[in-house]
Amino acid sequence: MSDKVYNVLIVGVGGQGIILASDVLSRAAARYGYDVKKNEIHGMAQRGGSVSSHVRFGKSVSSPIIKTGEADVLLSFEQIEAVRYFPFLAETGKVILNDHKILPPAVFTGKQEYPPDVIEKIKAKVPDAVVVDGLAVAEQVGNPRVVNVVFLGVLSAFLDIPATTYEEVLKESLKPKLVDVNLKAFHQGRALAAA
Amino acid sequence: MGNEAIARGVIEAGCGVAAAYPGTPSSEVLESLVRWKKELGHPIYVEWSINEKVAFEIAYGASLAGNRAMAAMKMVGLNVASDPFLSAAYLGVRGGLVVVVADDPGPHSSQTEQDSRFFGWFAKVPVLDPGTPQEALAMALRAFELSEKYELPVLLRPCLRVCHARQNIRLGNPAPLKDVGRFARNWTRWAAIPKYRLVLHGQLNEKLQTIIQEEPESRPRLVLGDGRAELAVITSGSVSSHVRDIAAADDRLSGLDVYKIDLPYPADAAALQEVVDTHERTLVIEETYPVLELQLKDRRTVLGRLSGHVPPQGELVPEIVEDLLRSAADIPALERTPVEVKPRRPSLCPGCPHRPAFFMIRKTFENAVYTGDIGCYTLGINMGAVDTCLCMGASVGMAGGLAKAPRPGDEHRVVATIGDSTFYHAGVPALINAVHTRASFVLVIMDNGTTAMTGGQPTPASPSLADGSPGTAVDMERLVRGCGVDHVQVVDPYDHAALKETLESARKHTFDEGKGVSVVITRRPCVRMPGVEISLQRFRITEQCDLCMSCVRDLECPAIHYVKGEKRMEIDQDLCAGCGFCVQVCPSQAVEPKGA
Repeated sequence: MSDKVYNVLIVGVGGQGIILASDVLSRAAARYGYDVKKNEIHGMAQRGGSVSSHVRFGKSVSSPIIKTGEADVLLSFEQIEAVRYFPFLAETGKVILNDHKILPPAVFTGKQEYPPDVIEKIKAKVPDAVVVDGLAVAEQVGNPRVVNVVFLGVLSAFLDIPATTYEEVLKESLKPKLVDVNLKAFHQGRALAAA
Repeated sequence: MGNEAIARGVIEAGCGVAAAYPGTPSSEVLESLVRWKKELGHPIYVEWSINEKVAFEIAYGASLAGNRAMAAMKMVGLNVASDPFLSAAYLGVRGGLVVVVADDPGPHSSQTEQDSRFFGWFAKVPVLDPGTPQEALAMALRAFELSEKYELPVLLRPCLRVCHARQNIRLGNPAPLKDVGRFARNWTRWAAIPKYRLVLHGQLNEKLQTIIQEEPESRPRLVLGDGRAELAVITSGSVSSHVRDIAAADDRLSGLDVYKIDLPYPADAAALQEVVDTHERTLVIEETYPVLELQLKDRRTVLGRLSGHVPPQGELVPEIVEDLLRSAADIPALERTPVEVKPRRPSLCPGCPHRPAFFMIRKTFENAVYTGDIGCYTLGINMGAVDTCLCMGASVGMAGGLAKAPRPGDEHRVVATIGDSTFYHAGVPALINAVHTRASFVLVIMDNGTTAMTGGQPTPASPSLADGSPGTAVDMERLVRGCGVDHVQVVDPYDHAALKETLESARKHTFDEGKGVSVVITRRPCVRMPGVEISLQRFRITEQCDLCMSCVRDLECPAIHYVKGEKRMEIDQDLCAGCGFCVQVCPSQAVEPKGA
C-alpha cells in the first residue's frame, strides 16, 4: 500500500449507476485499509442532470472533495460529462471514457448540437485515455445493466487495491443472483484496461 | 454517509421520538433511523410529518413528555419551523431535544444559502457544526447531553458536504430509551404569558453564558500548527476539512495555525479574540455567513467576509479555500481552468405524469400566469408552464395575490400548480384563504402519491407511515372540498381527452362564469416508485411526421429527439416509458404503437 492520496472522480448522468460504482470503490478502499472520504451531489441529478462522485483515499484524508487539477483518474460514463469535468484531471491523470452519448435537453430539442469529436479531442490531450463501449461489453457479459461494474473493473487496474477486495465488496453488496454477472463484468473491464 | 451517522448518534443517545419533513440534503436522516429501528429492533418512534413546523412540535411535545427527541429538516424547513423554534429556546425543554438542520452552500438543490448557525444565534439556541460524518455522530450524542444539561433545544448543523459524505464510521452501542420523568404541569413555564417570558429570557441568557464558561466546544482548538505562526485560520464545519487537507499538503502553507471551533454559537468571544490578538493576521473560513467573524470584537487584522476577502456567496469549494489560504500567506495565485460545457439541465422523467398535465395546462390556458411550487414539477419551467417558484406552498398564495391585482385589458388568468406533498405541507391554508376571499384562479394539484423529488417519502394520503406501520390516509378530495372548494375534479393525466375536458370545465367555472377557485387533481403515481407498472408498449414515428417539433418543444420528452443528418424524429426505445401521450397529442398523428 502506497503513501499517496488517490483522487478518483466518477462522472456521468443521473441513472447510470455512478453512485453504486463509487460506493463499491470506496468500500473496497476502506476494506484494504485506506482512510476514505467520498462525496456526491444528489437532488436534481436524479432527473437526468449531471452527477459527480468524488472518492479520495490514502493514509489520512479529511476533505471529501477533489480540487481541479488533482484527479488521478477521471472516469466518465458519458462523453460531454468527460469534457465538463476535464479541468479536474491532474497533469499525469488517467481518463477512462464510456463511448456513450446522452443527449441533454438543449440537444434533443434541436436548440444546440452535441459537441462533435469528443473522443478525439480527449485523446489529443490524454493519448492513453481508455475508451470502452461499456454497453457492448455489458451485453456480451449477459446484462446491459452492469455497465457501471465493467468500468469499475477498468478503473481498478489503475489503483492500488487488489481485485479480490473488490470481489468481496461486490459479493456483499449485491443480490446473490446478480453476483456472478457482476463479477464477470468486473473482470472483463479489468482485462480491457490491461490490454 | 453523514446523515446515517447522525441517525446512528440519535439511536446511540436513546432518543425516543423522531420527526422530519424530507428535503435535500437532510432526507436520509429519518430514512436511516427507520433502517436502524428495524435492524436493531430499537423502540424509537419515527414519522414523516406534514411539514417542518409540525415535525418540530412533535419533537418538542415528546421532550416535554420526558423523552429524548429529534426533528430533522433542510435549512428552509427551519424557516417554516421558526415560530416554535424561537419560543422553545425561551421555554426550554425536558428530555434532550436536537434539531438537525442541513445547510446547502452552493446552493446545489435549495432556494437559499442561509446559514443555520445564524438562525441558532437569532433564536439563542446553541449550534454544533460537524466537519465530517464521524464528527457528526459524536456531535449528535453531545447535542442530546447539552440539551438536557441546559434544558435548551440544540441545533446540529451539518452542511451538504457532511450529509452526503461517506467514510468508515466507528459505531457505539444503541442505548435504551432515556427517560427524564413524566410531564409535570407548570404553566408559568410551558404556557408562559409575557410576564414570565421576560423571566425565561433572562434565564436563557444565563444558560448561554454558562455554556461559554463551562463547555470546551465553545472555544477554538488548535488542529494544525504550534500556535506561534504569523497567520492563523479560524474555521468551523465541513469547510474545515478542506482547510486541513490543503494546509497539510502544501509545504509553503505548513506554517499555518488552524483553529477549529465545534460550537460556533455561543462561541467564547474572548478566546476567539485571543487567537486574533496573538497572530499577525487571522483568516476566518466558515460557511455561509460571518457567524464567527461577527463574534470578534476587534477585527482590524481579520481577513474574512466582512473585510471583503472571502466571497460573500457560493460554496467554499477546495479551490476557493486554496486561493484564500495562498493569498493570506502571500503565495502567488494558481491559474484555474474554467469548465467548458454548459450545464446539463434536468428534465421531467420519460413517462412522468406531470408532463401531460403541464402540456395541457399550456394548451387550455394560453397567456395565463402560471404560479409554480417546490418539487420535481418546478421543471415545468422547461415547458413554459411554470413562471414563479418562491417557496413551499407559494403557488397557491401568490395565485390569490395575482388574481386580486388584475391589469386593465389583461385576462388576469392565473393557474397554479402544486404537488400533493407540498399541498399538504403549506398549500391548504392558502386555498382556504382563496375560497374565503373569492379569489379567481385554477389550482392543479399534481398528485403522484409521493414526495418524489426527495426520494419518495410518504404523504398524509399514504396508507402507511415512515416505518411501514399502518396510518390513516387523508383523502385529498375531501380535504379540498373541506377547504370550501365546490368545483373539484380528479383526472388521469395520461388520458388526453379527459384531461382536456376537465381543464376546460375548470376554465369555464372560474374564468367564464366567475364562480371562484376551481381545483383539478391530476392523479397518477410517479413512474420512479417501486411497484409502479411501466408500460412495455413502444412506439415509432411514421412518415407522416412533418417535423413540427411539438413533441420535443411542447412535450419536452427526453425519449424523442431529432436526427440531424436524416431530417427525422426518433424515439429512444430504452428511455421511452410507454406512456403514449405523444400518440395522443401529435398534430400530424405520426406516432403509432409498435406491432399495430
